[in-house]
Amino acid sequence: MSAELILVADDDEDILLLVTTRLRRDGFEIVQASNGTQALELARERRPALAVLDIGMPGLDGVQVLEQIRADADLRRMRVLLLTAKAQESDVRRGYDSGADAYVKKPFSPAELSTRVRELLA
Amino acid sequence: MSASRVYLAVTLPLIGIHFAFPAGGTAQSIIYELLGGTAVLAIVYAVRLHRPEHRLPWLLFAGGNALFVIGDVISIFLEDPPVPSPADVFYLAGYPLVAAGLLLLMLAAGARNRSAALADAAVFTLGFALLQWTFLMGPAVRGSGSRAEHVVSGLYPAMDIVLLAGFAGFFVSPAWRTPAFRYLVGGVLALLLGDEVYGLDANGYSSGDWVDFTWMLSYVLWAAAALHPSMRELSKARRSTALRIAGARIVVLAAALVTVPAVLLVQQVRGKPLDVYVVVAIGSAISLLVVARLTGILRALERIRGREQAARTIAEEAQARLTVQNEQLVEADRLKDEFVALISHDLRTPLTSIVGYVELAMDDELEQPLDEERRSYLEVVSRSSERLLRLVDDLLFIARLQAGQLVLEPAKLDLCTIVAQSVEESKPRAEAKGVALSFLGSGTVMIECDKGRIFQLLDNLLSNAIKFTPAGGRIDVRAVPKLDGAVLEVSDTGIGLAPGEAELVFDRFFRSSTTAAQQIPGTGLGLFIARAIAEAHGGQISAGGRDGDGTTFRIELPAQLPPQPGSDSAGAELVA
Repeated sequence: MSAELILVADDDEDILLLVTTRLRRDGFEIVQASNGTQALELARERRPALAVLDIGMPGLDGVQVLEQIRADADLRRMRVLLLTAKAQESDVRRGYDSGADAYVKKPFSPAELSTRVRELLA
Repeated sequence: MSASRVYLAVTLPLIGIHFAFPAGGTAQSIIYELLGGTAVLAIVYAVRLHRPEHRLPWLLFAGGNALFVIGDVISIFLEDPPVPSPADVFYLAGYPLVAAGLLLLMLAAGARNRSAALADAAVFTLGFALLQWTFLMGPAVRGSGSRAEHVVSGLYPAMDIVLLAGFAGFFVSPAWRTPAFRYLVGGVLALLLGDEVYGLDANGYSSGDWVDFTWMLSYVLWAAAALHPSMRELSKARRSTALRIAGARIVVLAAALVTVPAVLLVQQVRGKPLDVYVVVAIGSAISLLVVARLTGILRALERIRGREQAARTIAEEAQARLTVQNEQLVEADRLKDEFVALISHDLRTPLTSIVGYVELAMDDELEQPLDEERRSYLEVVSRSSERLLRLVDDLLFIARLQAGQLVLEPAKLDLCTIVAQSVEESKPRAEAKGVALSFLGSGTVMIECDKGRIFQLLDNLLSNAIKFTPAGGRIDVRAVPKLDGAVLEVSDTGIGLAPGEAELVFDRFFRSSTTAAQQIPGTGLGLFIARAIAEAHGGQISAGGRDGDGTTFRIELPAQLPPQPGSDSAGAELVA
């Protein structure tokens, strides 16, 4: 069975690489986006099984990308994990209201993130 | 009983006894002179007794009355006095002394609006002068008799004017309402009344006439005024409200003002002659004084208005400054919020990279595992970044607390479950240090609380306990129900608290003497936060235990949360 595809979107290159590296070690195939618009395009194009979205991105933010994904009949079943550093309660609530499957707070342990991802894809 | 009452009690009956004796007899004369003489002595005695601030006015009263008494004595011995008689000289000399005394007393008392008092007194006196001239002095001067007779009979009403001038100034001054003042008024009025009656029909007077009563009464009242203790207050400067126009004063002034038209009318009706020059002169003088007085009042009003305007300007400026300061405060508050958000985001992002990449570097499954030395270096980086993260979290928490943004998310929960979970999470750290950590509790203790915050509180207490308990020690955690609430205890066998520090440990940035001495790292924020959380739950936290015997932290929590302030601002809340 081929490795499952995960979309990772974060405007911070270092964090993007961190998440990517960790999840690649777990054997997942990764597709990277550095902003919300690109993330939405890649989601439609590549149909990943799960998306790790940073909430605080310029342009379309993580929650808006999530809303578009849930509004799209073809993408509706994709699992979504939100990442945030700003961690505003309103963001978290908006995230869950928009149908996020999980929520991870920055700074996070890569091992913990990997655990959450594997749980969601189990 | 006061000296003045004793004096009146003796002298007033004497006046009555006087009239029981035959008119013009020796007995009457003796009583009359006795009253006059004792009055003078009483005034001199009173000055020594009461020691008023201004003695001169009273001595002038004594002098004036002494001259009157001398006049009386002389007139007794002159059976058929010539005109003018030597008695007239003493009588006429007495008035200026008494009037001067009254004037001096008034000047000493009415410190503030003296010019207004003087103007009012002048208006009053001028009105009286017109009456005196028209009805007493004029006829006397124009009547039959020698030039000397004219002068003398004209001088008595003139002296009454002088007396009234001194009295009127005092009358309109703010020295009202002391018994001494009332006696003085009585004395002056009695003297004036006697003089006026005498002046209207000088030929009809004979010794022993009832008019003598007014003069005797005058003596007695002058003395009574001097003997009353309140005489000392009469000459004291008083704080009077500027521009106070009492009702009595207005009546007196109005009466003085209508004197001119009234005199014109009366003389017209009586068909008697009128001194046009005198009426015109006095009428003009009164009018000028009234204009001056009005000008003074208007100026005073203007000054008051000016002061009010100035005060209003100052108030408006203060208001404007307050508004600006308020705007600055709002701006400062906004900047602080921005700053907190910035720390929250911009410190967390690099920390995420540090923590995350260190973890990746230490991953055991790497193809080229780290050697022990490099691994130990990275462990230091890892520990340091965790401490840094904790500090950032604590500072953020306090910033929110001070902004009033600590809002609980309450739920009905079992405290034991939360505590057990927290203890479980801290166990690895305790075991790594060789400290036994155990939760001694069972069953369920249901309370309303914010699970995340209780976790944070416990984590702070457990971290402290682990930090301050040496290897081989133990930490016990208990959670027991109590009447409408729960009690949570964390006790350790650590270094304990120095005496007097139990109250201070919850202060922000407090470091105990032991931690400072042993250089145990810490920020002094953990217990401050623990207390804030306990109090937000409507509970309290306390520290106990003796020095060197370990420490016990005890938290009491109510079953129900108190109503939360500002719980509607949850949308703006930051979550660590």
